Amino acid sequence: MGEWIVFGISALLLITGLFLMLSAVVGQYRFKYVLNRMHAASMGDSMGLGLVLLSLCLASGDGWLIAKYLLVVLFVWLTSPTAGHLIARLEIATDSRYQDEMEMIEK
Amino acid sequence: MKKNESFWQKLLSLDEISYENPLDEQLIDAETDQPDSVLRQQSPVEYAFAEILQEEKQEELYIAERLEANSLHAWVGRQSKKWAKPVYSLLCALFCVALVVFLMSTVIELPPFGAADNPTNNEVAQRYLEKGLEETGAVNMVAGMILDYRAFDTFGESTVLFVAACSVLLLLKLGDHKDGEVSPAMLEAEWDDRHHEPKNDAILQMAARVLVPVILLFGMYIVLAGHLGPGGGFSGGAVMGAGLILYLNAFGFRKTGRFFTYKTFRWVTFVALMTYALLKSYSFFCGANHLESGISLGTPGAILSSGLILPLNICVGLIVMCIMYAFYTLFRKGGM
Repeated sequence: MGEWIVFGISALLLITGLFLMLSAVVGQYRFKYVLNRMHAASMGDSMGLGLVLLSLCLASGDGWLIAKYLLVVLFVWLTSPTAGHLIARLEIATDSRYQDEMEMIEK
Repeated sequence: MKKNESFWQKLLSLDEISYENPLDEQLIDAETDQPDSVLRQQSPVEYAFAEILQEEKQEELYIAERLEANSLHAWVGRQSKKWAKPVYSLLCALFCVALVVFLMSTVIELPPFGAADNPTNNEVAQRYLEKGLEETGAVNMVAGMILDYRAFDTFGESTVLFVAACSVLLLLKLGDHKDGEVSPAMLEAEWDDRHHEPKNDAILQMAARVLVPVILLFGMYIVLAGHLGPGGGFSGGAVMGAGLILYLNAFGFRKTGRFFTYKTFRWVTFVALMTYALLKSYSFFCGANHLESGISLGTPGAILSSGLILPLNICVGLIVMCIMYAFYTLFRKGGM
């Protein structure tokens, strides 16, 4: 019984994560502006990947494997926002008409 | 040292009016030790004037770009025939379908995957699997194959990488003059680089501080454990090169120039390739003449085992790392 509950939870998490990944991919192709696209992509990276690896942690139940999965999550959660930040910076630096697309709050 | 100083002085004099990025307001140039706000306080009028000039220039550039693009589009529209576009699309679709059909028909002809009587399951693979551990001493059979049985092939691959790096160097390296004077092209490339690449980005620097040591250590682990498990010179070298590129992005050329210059690149690739060639030609010479090579294979599974595979892995890893880093720097600003 307990095994089935764990399996059910991990399957649910996996499907939710995959759905988020899929919506991230759809967002990549549907949005036209780079910052909107970045928003969609970062959702798949953070939430989608986090849920998928959480479900894998639940399903495996092995201590070392869980530690490795958590390392993967940590790595992606460190690198993906940094990359997004750099893309946004580059957009602001190179596109002089970025204010046509959005409002930027001046300090 | 003298050369570098004049170089940076020239560069900084250029940099004072190169202000463009609104996010750079506080951190335009920590390397001058003179933040933007100080500059603004010292000469507010000049500063504002330079800013306005810059904006106007950019506006003009933008308009000119749009005009050029529009005229190009119009030219294409005038030149092309009316029927050309649908015919072109149709031909494209036909070509793609034909390619797919051709490739799929080839795939159908292939022998079934994993069948016992496939032509790949011959005596060569059998011998590798049966005698590999005994003859090469590598637990990881792939390492034993590419760096022992087929080491000459791997040497060719490293040389191909080296030749590719040489041709990229020929094409993209901006030469400096013989007497240490900086050429205008280099100065321009440097200015371009500092203008468009992230500089002194606090978030990136923090991430790099955490990640770079881990990435480099992991790359070294992959290289050194190549004969014990999955990994080896190529993958480990790629990981280390990526770590170096991240470090360069975060901290700039001045920091990486302390330990990795063009001279380092030349010497490391040269020495690694020569070591590979010498070690392997020695072992080929002994093997071909049935001589005792004197290289012990050690106990399989220990870190210092499997004869020449570990040093060869290190050589390949160094070459791959240097060449990845060199490619990045050359494509970025044409030098290191």
